[in-house]
Amino acid sequence: MKSYTYDVVIIGSGASGGAVAYTLCKAGYKVAVLEKGRLIRRDEFSKDELAYARRDLVTPNLFDEYHTIEKKVEGTWEAIPTYESGWSFWNGNIVGGSSNLMSGMLHRLHPDDFRLQSKYGDIKGANIVDWPISYEELEPYYALTEELVGISGHYEKHPYEPPRSTANFTQKPTKENAVVNLLDKSCKALGFTPLVTPRAVLSSDKGDRKACYYSNFCGSYGCSSGAKGSSREALLKPALATGNLTLLSNTHVKYLHSSKKDEVDYAVVVDTITGKEQKIKGNLFVVAAQAHESARLLLNSANNHHPNGLGNSSGELGKNLLFSGGGSGQGELHKEDLKDIKFEDLMTTGLFVNRSVLDWYFIDHWWDGKFKGGSVEFMFEHQNIISRARKNGYEDGKLVWGKALGDRLVKRFTEHKSIRFEIFNDWLPNDNCFVALDKTHKDKYGMPVGKLRLEGHPQDVKVGKYIAKKCEAILEEMGAKNIYSAVSSVAAQNLVAGGCRFGDDPKTSVLNKYCQSHDVPNLFVADASFMPTGGSVAYTWTIYANAFRVADHIVKKLKMS
Amino acid sequence: MIKQNKMKEYATMKRRKFLLFGSMLGLSTGLKAKAYTPFEKEFHSVEPIIQHVQEHLFPLDSKIPSAKLMRATAFLFETIKHKSFDKDIRAFVIEGAKELQIREKNFISMTVQEKEKALRAYEETNYGSNWLSRMMTLTMEGMFSDPIYGSNVNEAGWKALNTFGGQPRPRTRYIEL
Repeated sequence: MKSYTYDVVIIGSGASGGAVAYTLCKAGYKVAVLEKGRLIRRDEFSKDELAYARRDLVTPNLFDEYHTIEKKVEGTWEAIPTYESGWSFWNGNIVGGSSNLMSGMLHRLHPDDFRLQSKYGDIKGANIVDWPISYEELEPYYALTEELVGISGHYEKHPYEPPRSTANFTQKPTKENAVVNLLDKSCKALGFTPLVTPRAVLSSDKGDRKACYYSNFCGSYGCSSGAKGSSREALLKPALATGNLTLLSNTHVKYLHSSKKDEVDYAVVVDTITGKEQKIKGNLFVVAAQAHESARLLLNSANNHHPNGLGNSSGELGKNLLFSGGGSGQGELHKEDLKDIKFEDLMTTGLFVNRSVLDWYFIDHWWDGKFKGGSVEFMFEHQNIISRARKNGYEDGKLVWGKALGDRLVKRFTEHKSIRFEIFNDWLPNDNCFVALDKTHKDKYGMPVGKLRLEGHPQDVKVGKYIAKKCEAILEEMGAKNIYSAVSSVAAQNLVAGGCRFGDDPKTSVLNKYCQSHDVPNLFVADASFMPTGGSVAYTWTIYANAFRVADHIVKKLKMS
Repeated sequence: MIKQNKMKEYATMKRRKFLLFGSMLGLSTGLKAKAYTPFEKEFHSVEPIIQHVQEHLFPLDSKIPSAKLMRATAFLFETIKHKSFDKDIRAFVIEGAKELQIREKNFISMTVQEKEKALRAYEETNYGSNWLSRMMTLTMEGMFSDPIYGSNVNEAGWKALNTFGGQPRPRTRYIEL
């Protein structure tokens, strides 16, 4: 075994790991990125629905690696392994992580998301606190992400659109389906303001990354032109080009070792193909394994100095895990009663809807009251063919088959198209949403699996339902049929944050304002774990931005030592 | 898109116990004796009945291609055999077919009307309904996935719905690089 010591060892190659690796490699430091998944290159991706959307091929087999999920059964919490339920909490274990597979509908947080407690006060049963940093401190990094990752869009002034330091996006919005004409008109008729969704997809070439080619299969799939702003395309490739990055794929980290109380000295890793274990030494360690797994890794790294988990003197490690409140809904636009746009144009494939509504980000209404709301994205129903064909396969409780099935499917695919909305509102941090170690279940490497408790706060559902009503009205105005929405407190496993709160007080937070462990100075957590409250948009842009901010701090720290 | 998986509810959390309900009740006696025979052998013992079920669900005179033309049974066999396929569901596919064989000894020689009656009766049980739903899924997975998997012959499944898979198409099955 070679005893090379890296300047920095990063665990995880997704959005945050990539941002830290990029910054440090550009600054001249020797970096190792440890990724448990394999590498799939740009030219190896395809739009294979069976492989990417229906089998566990870019995530672990649940019988090998899994989580347990706690559910209250007759008054006691019962942990059910995900191999029983099929409810996987893995999100893209390949080089670049789930940023390869995202839809890339991104927003910045609003300045008030950084001071939710001061602005809106406490809510019973929710652990709301202000962040130790303000929007102004993160803004330059939102701007940097926009440029480096490549976010396309068009800025329009709106009361709830966060301020920006640059005038507009350098990448124009991606091409849009004619349905936006109908959607915009319907929103305006109701007094709502449709905005162009910023999207981590290039509309024009950027270096060796080519513009979007409108494949019609974006979310859940890797991008074959490099247009999607994945960590792999936007950050790891340029980091590799510096010659300073050692990218170790198929390398799973079991735990971090610390001989001294205030220092991590190596990671114990296992080669996922050969099963061989080795130590990876570093002067500084950055955990970026996705929120619930980052907390699990630190809990699994407990030792004599840190009996309750590495960097867990606060007892807060794994607590206040966040998902996203809200839900989704959809309606069908039918050929026979389509208004304002041509049916052929509606059926044109590949083009984006690119619309969001921020009108309900904050609600201050004479009757409804004053409370934090959320954001809404509009999109077409996912174009996956198998899943669309398989949906709604029942009539009067019986499976539809035979000739009737053929008639039904042809109608579904050729005579209407479904438009959909997704609501994102705060998932309030609470005592019944956390990750801990499971005492009995272990993964195939012999390490305790993460045990998740996923309860939401009733306020989240209330807010989601409030917004869903408005969205249903928009679909109705558009002339959609069979409109429905579903708002619940079921956790969306691909929108996870929290678990290692950052804060100024080491007694109540795991990380300081630079996402450095209060207890172990050479340990950082760069992913969404730091978020004490989640805001009301998807996390990715904030993850990228904060990781760039953390990386800048690490560079300063390394320069001083 | 972002929240596409959100709809998985807790109701499904115990699906495996549910799936195996039939065999736990001892409805399919004699299963244990064959537990150690190779999967292929076991599959071939139920292959005819699975094929007849698929052909009944996806008949020749429909607006979408038939199971027969789409080589649906060959696809089903290959995909459940693959390592990426959930092993409990693999066992359930075989068990459910055996259960049907026990319920309806002459299924294969039945008329279309008799098969309809037999399958609707099977559907009345939760176990049978679950199994038939799995047959639907496994047949559609072939018919509407890339032709590289051996079903969706000449893209007939896609053509029938006037919808097509995205570019680039897979060059290997199951992302074997």
